[in-house]
Amino acid sequence: MTQRIIYPTDDGGVAIIVPAGAIEDCMKDIPEGKPYKIIDTADVPTDRTFRDAWEYA
Amino acid sequence: MGKAKNLSQLVRPIEYDSTTNITTIKSGASDTTAVTIDASQNATLAGTLTVPGAISASGGVVGAVTGNASTATALSTASGSAPSYSARAWVNFNGTGTVAINASGNVSSITDNGVGNYTVNFTTALPDANYAVVGSINNNNSSCGFTPTALATGTTRIVTTTVNPTTSYVDFSIVTVSIFR
Repeated sequence: MTQRIIYPTDDGGVAIIVPAGAIEDCMKDIPEGKPYKIIDTADVPTDRTFRDAWEYA
Repeated sequence: MGKAKNLSQLVRPIEYDSTTNITTIKSGASDTTAVTIDASQNATLAGTLTVPGAISASGGVVGAVTGNASTATALSTASGSAPSYSARAWVNFNGTGTVAINASGNVSSITDNGVGNYTVNFTTALPDANYAVVGSINNNNSSCGFTPTALATGTTRIVTTTVNPTTSYVDFSIVTVSIFR
């Protein structure tokens, strides 16, 4: 659970999948056709003040 | 009338130890122990117990019980006659800072869609989307809310909000979601 999956949302933001167990078990939770990246949890900002302004890059 | 078995076939599969008071019932050509009954009348079955009818356990059931989930419709009740139903999925997560799942059941992940906006993803989908969502947030301000917004068989989306002075999405450090069907 030290990794996260990110993908772009339809409104230009970014969604972050937080796995309950192994990262492999939640690959199904990525919307079909969306590009995605697997990143370290430490790379996700902890300050969520501007969370809705985050973008997928 | 079937053909009578000889005495060795009838006696050999059952063994009784008068010292330990343990009885074993054996099966198969190799005399594998199928059932062991100890001095306290506890029986241990080596294989699988198949019961076509109902099971009555007035003394309670200890340990895990597995069954045919596709036909099991309700749990027996501890008291009264109203049926009881268990949660089909549940999760407790922290929606602040580094969003993380504290514990869960039948949940593969949650998706952080933004401030106060999450999707709960089920490991095994529910039979339909007509389930009940129960949730809570760790805030005793009555101006805060928990709302399921989109129910599907594989996911459910929830938002956590404050409504004072205006309705807006807010993160909370403890968010719980339970799904009943």
